[in-house]
Amino acid sequence: MKKKIGKALVVGAGISGIRAALDLAEFGYGVTLVDRSPHIGGVLSQLDYQFPTDRCGMCKMLPMVDRDTSSQYCLRKGLFHENIEIRLSTELVSVEGEPGNFQVSLRQAPNLVDPARCIGCGECVKVCPVEVLDSFNAGLSGRKAIYLPVPHAIPNAYIIDTNACSRCGECEAICPTGAIKLLEEVRKDFRILVVDDELIMRDSLKAWLEDEGFAVDMAASGPEALNHLSKQAYELMLADIKMPGMDGVELLQKAKEVFPDLSVVMMTAYATVETAVEAMKIGALDYLLKPFDPDTLIPMIIRTYQDLEASKEPPMEVGALVLCGGTSYFDPAEGKNTYGYGLYPNVVTSLEFERILSGTGPNQGRLVRLSDGKPLRKVAWLQCVGSRDIKIDADYCSSICCMHAIKEALVAKERAGGALEAAIFYMDMRTFGKSFQRYRDRAETEHDVRFEKGRVHSILYDENSGDLMVRHVDYSGTYREEIFDMVVLSVGQRPALGTTALAEMVEMPLNQWGFGQTEPFSLTRIHKEGIVLGGSFSGLKDISESVIQASAAALSASRAIHAGGGSLTPEPTPEAPLFDISQEPPKVMIAVCTCGDLLSKLLDTQRLVRNLKVDPAVDQVDFLEQTCTVTGWENLIERVEKHTPNRILIGSCLPDVYAKKIRELGRRVGLNPVLIEVVDLMLMARVSNLKSETLSADEISKINSDVLAILGTGLARLKWADPDPVSYEKILQQALVVGGGIAGMSSALAIADHGFQVDLIEQEEMLGGNLNWLQRTLDGNTTKSILDETLLKVEKHPLIRVHTHSRVRASHGQVGRFYTTVEAKEKDAFTLKHGVTILAAGGVEAVTTSYNYGTSEAIVTQKELEKKIHANTIDPSRLESIVMIQCVDSRQEPRNYCSRICCTTALKHALNFKEINPEINVYILYRDMMTYGFTESYYTKARKAGVIFIRYDLAEKPRVTPMDGSVRVTAVEPIIRQKVQIDADLVVLATGIVPRLPKDLAESYGATVDRDGFFEAAESKWRPVDSLKEGIFACGLAHSPRNITESIATAEAAAQRALRILSHERMPAGKVVAEVRHSLCSLCERCIEACPYGARRVDLELEKVLVSPAMCQGCGSCATVCPNSASTLAGFLDQQMFDVIDSALEGTA
Amino acid sequence: MKTAKINVNDGDLLTTLRDFFRSILQLEDISAILVPQHLPATNVVMPTLVTDPEQLNGTDPLAPVFPLNAAKIVSRLTRKPMGAKVAVVLRPCEIRAFVELVKLKQGRIEEVLLVGIDCLGAFKNGDYIQIAGKKEAEFTSSFYKDALSGKKLTFEGFDLAPACKACENPIPDGADILIGLFGVDTNNQLLIQARTPKGETLYETLDLSDTEEPPERPAVVESLVAERTAYRDKMFAETAEATNSLEKLNIYFAECVNCYNCRVACPVCYCKECVFVTDVFNHDPVQYLRWANRKGVIKMPTDTVFYHLTRMAHMSTSCVGCGQCTNACPNDIPVMELFRTVSYHTQNAFEYEAGRSIEDDLPLSVFREDELAEVVGIGNHCNL
Repeated sequence: MKKKIGKALVVGAGISGIRAALDLAEFGYGVTLVDRSPHIGGVLSQLDYQFPTDRCGMCKMLPMVDRDTSSQYCLRKGLFHENIEIRLSTELVSVEGEPGNFQVSLRQAPNLVDPARCIGCGECVKVCPVEVLDSFNAGLSGRKAIYLPVPHAIPNAYIIDTNACSRCGECEAICPTGAIKLLEEVRKDFRILVVDDELIMRDSLKAWLEDEGFAVDMAASGPEALNHLSKQAYELMLADIKMPGMDGVELLQKAKEVFPDLSVVMMTAYATVETAVEAMKIGALDYLLKPFDPDTLIPMIIRTYQDLEASKEPPMEVGALVLCGGTSYFDPAEGKNTYGYGLYPNVVTSLEFERILSGTGPNQGRLVRLSDGKPLRKVAWLQCVGSRDIKIDADYCSSICCMHAIKEALVAKERAGGALEAAIFYMDMRTFGKSFQRYRDRAETEHDVRFEKGRVHSILYDENSGDLMVRHVDYSGTYREEIFDMVVLSVGQRPALGTTALAEMVEMPLNQWGFGQTEPFSLTRIHKEGIVLGGSFSGLKDISESVIQASAAALSASRAIHAGGGSLTPEPTPEAPLFDISQEPPKVMIAVCTCGDLLSKLLDTQRLVRNLKVDPAVDQVDFLEQTCTVTGWENLIERVEKHTPNRILIGSCLPDVYAKKIRELGRRVGLNPVLIEVVDLMLMARVSNLKSETLSADEISKINSDVLAILGTGLARLKWADPDPVSYEKILQQALVVGGGIAGMSSALAIADHGFQVDLIEQEEMLGGNLNWLQRTLDGNTTKSILDETLLKVEKHPLIRVHTHSRVRASHGQVGRFYTTVEAKEKDAFTLKHGVTILAAGGVEAVTTSYNYGTSEAIVTQKELEKKIHANTIDPSRLESIVMIQCVDSRQEPRNYCSRICCTTALKHALNFKEINPEINVYILYRDMMTYGFTESYYTKARKAGVIFIRYDLAEKPRVTPMDGSVRVTAVEPIIRQKVQIDADLVVLATGIVPRLPKDLAESYGATVDRDGFFEAAESKWRPVDSLKEGIFACGLAHSPRNITESIATAEAAAQRALRILSHERMPAGKVVAEVRHSLCSLCERCIEACPYGARRVDLELEKVLVSPAMCQGCGSCATVCPNSASTLAGFLDQQMFDVIDSALEGTA
Repeated sequence: MKTAKINVNDGDLLTTLRDFFRSILQLEDISAILVPQHLPATNVVMPTLVTDPEQLNGTDPLAPVFPLNAAKIVSRLTRKPMGAKVAVVLRPCEIRAFVELVKLKQGRIEEVLLVGIDCLGAFKNGDYIQIAGKKEAEFTSSFYKDALSGKKLTFEGFDLAPACKACENPIPDGADILIGLFGVDTNNQLLIQARTPKGETLYETLDLSDTEEPPERPAVVESLVAERTAYRDKMFAETAEATNSLEKLNIYFAECVNCYNCRVACPVCYCKECVFVTDVFNHDPVQYLRWANRKGVIKMPTDTVFYHLTRMAHMSTSCVGCGQCTNACPNDIPVMELFRTVSYHTQNAFEYEAGRSIEDDLPLSVFREDELAEVVGIGNHCNL
């Protein structure tokens, strides 16, 4: 088996970091995923619901091919993948080196609770005396200094907030497993020498540092210090610069001569930068300015301490870095704070409201006000708080808040059983994503969410009732007041904390608002190769776009690693031959971890052994100490080697953390890992009061019964486990890309660049698609450069075969092996074999008959205008008046979606006209300006340039009448409520995009199209470019309307998703796969209908239902619908399940 | 709906029906006809597959018995393409069972022509043999005459099978060709109705003259259905009362010996082999001991109630109420009564009626996010 060497570092374990890490890991690279917070999931760990399903679905991102490399359960709870190492509470400290060969250093905050030992019993929380605000609940509730960072993680180890902890030691004393080690023990090894001639200075420093657990010695002068240094090893010296006799700089020099590794921080009362800089030149780490107080000094010393600890580790070698740092949020208390955030108790941010909705939130999900418990009956959402606001230097749209607010309103309404009035105050509802417009329409028409156009200027708070009066001027100019129970501020995004420092470290340019700036036509690449951006780190993306961009980022990273020679190096991993035990009866060894003295005191071992050995399959029952420790584990292996069981049951805690260990154990003792099972004995510790001082005889007996029942269930599963190794399917390591536009070409190149053959099919005479007529983008980049560059690469690439004038006639097959028949002009049809398919069939400008299009040459579409400008058949300097009408036939049934590009295209042309001829009158008639993200600034620019924007409603659409020599446009100007009449030289219609993905093409691959004809993703948020049927991906306009850069991102994402599969020569089936017992099968085919993954088919000739083990995801739907268990699920056989249930009931009988 | 009448001489329905079937079999398009027939030298009525028009003299679709639900036979005949068309003469419950089997891919509708006759009901198999064994063929004519003139249908103390008395579907709605008896002057006429395009095609090739449905027919059918429904609802109430706890259910099935006859007789139990006779229920010997240990005593065989519950879970959505399960029970357990009671509710829950239409999707074969919110408990989200 080919094993890739090559490694990537993913910084930030939010949704995009996880996606990028999984993509790279599935391709075969090793990934280190770091996050500075103590949990994965980023902001999504706080969001329980996501539109359009209004629930979660993160787990859908887990691998579907070779899925046993990863854990397969709730991804919010945890991620375990063979190739991913996760390091939490960890930050990137430095990056050196070249693409393909970076050296990075990481700093991990010390973990005072050993996660391997913490069983999550929560005893520590009961005794912790320190109470602080819980950041997980956005500060809406309290927690202790020792706490769970998120309520749902697995394993969910407690951590200590070192800033809050008073180090009283209570938790350490009560911890039943000895998992807590407060700082002192560790830091005592870190000796600090304080050198100052002033006694008071020395004494206070010593006291502060010792409070933090450091070992501190003092010296009053340079010579004394040198004396100390010669006798005792120190990690850090704090040296005063101005001392009589030998001064600090001299001391530094001398000390460094003898102890070059000593770290020194200088202290000076005089801010003489020169001296300090001089000191740093000769080796001082940093300097401190006197006078200092403990609040600034201590964190600095701790950081130094952590850096020094971190630097003891050798730097990590990685081929590429993916930066998925996420964003932070605008703090509405900043500035004028006209909405009284932080002052009025019932004004909350959107994130805080998310926690109020959550079952793990401060109210356990009950919709009541935190301040007085009043049920929420009327809630207002205020949009664009901290976004689209030039006054606070936020001339951009945060892109996600509109949909976020609608979702919150809907979830709140549903929670309240409808008895909640929701109003959203907005400027433009930016429903620009796939399905967003319909979601909004349903919110308005079916769920009575009120959409109020206009900006709220202030809020008044009634201290008696706690209610809030929202004061605003509506669109007709009328001043209005309305009382609400709660006001939710849809806060905009800000660059993530630490972005500037990170940018400096990796030489990443930032845009004017401080977000990462990527290269033209790329959402992920910066000018420095091998360092790429994922997710909202480069600004303002929802989940779906973040996930797309993360996959695209993974691709760019992978390219860098590949180019650096980091892949395709065959590294044979000797797979130890497994013992063939298929003919042996089960011989089970049961190892029970007694968890220190916790269980050994309570267990009636004789009774346990007697009861377990009733089953003849049980060969041996052993009680071991702490299998979580190295010694404990080695001990266990020793027993296994001695007793040679053919199945092993381990009773301990946290089974999920054992996954990796089990595979290792299996390899070491020659057992298929499915024959090793870990059950969670500590489960009952969390439900019963194991720690209680005085347990009654009944309670002890109950604990013993529970242990027996838990072990019994594991034993039942093991006895029936199938020892046969998993099956493999061969993969044709070639790709087919249908469509030769920019998306198709980009994905073809991405795949071919990784060394795989690609066939690229284009129905037209030449490649290029829409870029053949598009000229430039809103931000001034010409499209010709990217087109020419891409064409050249595609045509020159030895691994890409281009078939123009060709189209797919038919296809069959499944992931790993597809057979596609292609018909070509003036050529015989031919068949291509490929392992994956990318649908990049593209899209075109929609045709229209609205607004009298076709009756006058002065009425054109945006595409025609672009062509006219390029062909110079239009002269802006001779035009007086132009009207652009947006949303022609769009955002209304039957084409009820936003095409995303029309508003920016209109701005592009309007600004161009204004630039050439400032006298020209340009009117843009719009419904909502969809200038999401940074394109908002062009909207501002256009208004400044004098472009006139007139909003219209569907109920009162503009009217267009061709006149003699001009076109008359009449519309209702909503602000003055008057009809306006414009005689225009030119009327430009934005008709939007329609896909060109024929239904039969999609269906011949087993993919589906949505009601608008676009590719239907397996899941719009979590698997946005995948089809539900594995092995089919889509990108570009066939996927959804989007601009060039965004199209290329989908192409790269699709390529990355495809590469995960192509990188394997053969694809292992999962452990848990469905099978058919043909002798029992009546061929009713209900299982085929039930299979969501298209993994089953009926072979009429064989008269059999066949399952593709690689596509089967082991969901068990087939086994559920099958009435007589002709369809079974390995690992969940009926007998096995009966046995498991029976054993579980053992304790209750 | 094309409707015709054919003449009957002296109320001899059987001769008329035989002639009618013969005329169908003689059509070029029809290769065979499946029809109930007296077997030679016995009074047993069984489905027969006839290709020779001369072999229809024993045909007796009105005999008040159907020893098995012929849907299973039709399923065998149509499981794969036969290359020929067969007319099948079935009772309404047989047609409905066949519709279910087609949906379960156990038969194909393309090559069959469904001929249904207004159902007069039947006796339990054993009862019929007792009564008819002595009376030979003329029993059928006395039966249908009594039935059609509204007389009480007890013969020698034997009553119609409970399944038939509780059957609210005496009209073969799903047939291509319907032969009507209720509300028709059967002394002189039979009603022939083409109810589907397929039926109409055949109707056109037969030499029939169009007429109207007798105006009194709907009322007659309605009153019959009302009477049956009343019986049925009473049966539901009694059965529910008799089984509304696990203890009572155990008593209800106390005589069950796990012979599985009910599932063999059931037309919609389509599994090639019931899961209860596979290795799944082939428990380890030590398992029995463990169970016994836990409770001190266990009844053997252990899986009787479990078996019935499972069968209900699997097939109650497709139950057509033909009563063959009760017919098949060696220990006279009223299986049909319970099965129908449960089926009535499960089918209601899915707004489904077994056998009603080939177009209705089988329950549980389609996932609707908003269905049964109170059961599945995911209704606490916006259904968008």
